Amino acid sequence: MFLPTGSQDEIGKPIDNRSRAFELFQRVTFTRNYKQISTPVVEYANTFTNKHAGMELSNMLKWFNREGEIEVLRPDWTTAVARALVNQHPSQLKWAYQGSVFRSDKDGIESRQAGIEIVHTPSFLGESECLLTAVNYLNELQINNYLFELGHTGIFDELTAPLKLNEDQLENLRKAMHDKRRDEVYQIASDNKVIAEQLSDLVDAYGSFDVIETYERHWENNNRLLKILKHIKQLATLLKESGVEEVLVDLGRVKNLPYYCGTMFRGFLKETGETFFSGGRYDKLYEQFNESISAVGLAFDVDVLSENLETHDSSKRICILASEDSHVYAEKIRQNYSNSVVDIQYQLNGSEQFDKVLQVVKDENNNYKVVEK
Amino acid sequence: MKPCIALTKGRLETQFIEFFQSLSYDVEPLINKGRKLRVETDEFQFVFAKGVDVTTYVEHGIADLGIVGEDILSEFQPDVYSLLPLPFGNCRMALATEKGKDWPARKRRIASKYPNITKEFFRKKGESVDIFKLEGSVELAPILGLADGIVDIVETGNTLKENGLIVKEEFFEFSARCIANRSSLKIKRELLAPVIRSFQKGEVVR
Repeated sequence: MFLPTGSQDEIGKPIDNRSRAFELFQRVTFTRNYKQISTPVVEYANTFTNKHAGMELSNMLKWFNREGEIEVLRPDWTTAVARALVNQHPSQLKWAYQGSVFRSDKDGIESRQAGIEIVHTPSFLGESECLLTAVNYLNELQINNYLFELGHTGIFDELTAPLKLNEDQLENLRKAMHDKRRDEVYQIASDNKVIAEQLSDLVDAYGSFDVIETYERHWENNNRLLKILKHIKQLATLLKESGVEEVLVDLGRVKNLPYYCGTMFRGFLKETGETFFSGGRYDKLYEQFNESISAVGLAFDVDVLSENLETHDSSKRICILASEDSHVYAEKIRQNYSNSVVDIQYQLNGSEQFDKVLQVVKDENNNYKVVEK
Repeated sequence: MKPCIALTKGRLETQFIEFFQSLSYDVEPLINKGRKLRVETDEFQFVFAKGVDVTTYVEHGIADLGIVGEDILSEFQPDVYSLLPLPFGNCRMALATEKGKDWPARKRRIASKYPNITKEFFRKKGESVDIFKLEGSVELAPILGLADGIVDIVETGNTLKENGLIVKEEFFEFSARCIANRSSLKIKRELLAPVIRSFQKGEVVR
């Protein structure tokens, strides 16, 4: 029997690591006053493909139900959680979830995520809490070699507003910015040479703090852009002061989903280059429910984090050699080693995997006892 | 750590080496590589692959940068930064057919190595066509009666002419491009920025 492309069996360490990553996530979010939420794995496609969510149906695992409606395996948590939260009392502000998402445009069909959503919360507080939860979680996972990146959708919106582009042109410009195609960015915006120049320069506006300082000078006469820079700077400072060694800004980053509106953030593992979390502000997602609220969140790629976890199982491994008659006694002995891994066997198979091997024997009074082998 | 650049084998490789040499980089190991598919210079690592594989290596972060024709980027839409056009590998995409033949009145059959580009081209024209995906020698398809026309790259037009085909329409001019892995560009920015700047300006910034 074979497996479809993208599906795989797993054995041992990846599963242990993933369980640990989920367990630590639950602990971190519980201690930070998040409430757990779960949504079904099967949803209507329209939840994700409507104009507010804007996801591509072609990338989803889908089928027709008996009524002829298209159903999908959950392709995204944020949209599903937003749908579910509309019916929740607004007094609960912080939500955490964990589980799989399914997309056919990714290397593996199924990927595991753990994430948080913060609603009805002042902008800076919500974003700070998101980022600091990420720092807290990474500390718990003992992952250190990473960098955070900050961006903001408002920069592209502000610079392109005077161009008066139609929807298609604006989308082409967004795609060109997304792919950092400097020449195409300039060409699309070329009716206004000043803005075309500014936008094409923005393609290269990524780096450390000095990028913010450079653009503070460039945009000294634009209060809206200065306000955005100030916001990014505040978040970057907060991260630095919280022990994040490398914070990157990319002022040319554009949204890749229509619902992002404001700060965007993501984290890269420096060694492998993998993105291990991404998120941002998405107040607009709630417009479909006629709600005007603040909403921000991020999702961790648990598969990526699990692969990069150090295995440090320090538990002592003990083997108790027993027999059919002494098995119950051996089981009682197990209780003396509650912090160890204890395996009861009738015959020793591979002594090298154990730190200690004990054997159940009978003493002179015909009572069971254990001796070290 | 040296930046890793994936190069498209063949004509683009030769043109890139000339371009790279004009920027005063050391190209000796590239010229004398023999059949090696991986070559290291003092400053870079190079890997040599087919165009579409260049995008795969860059997309997955095996290579930081790649040199590839825009036809490949347009056809396969890899998830990479497509930073800048390079001053070589200039080509056009064209619709061609057998000289002296009229288009049939029925739905047209088009052969191409580029089914996605072809589909997009005819979709913009509002026309449905049947596309035959071929891996090479596309010019044969109309001659042997497999298709009514072809969509393919044209550089000088000599291959078409020699096989009795004529260009009906040219629709996409392009060149080689420098692409980058989305994470490498950020994480290795200090290593990669000088190379990219030198590509942009046609001079080495060190």
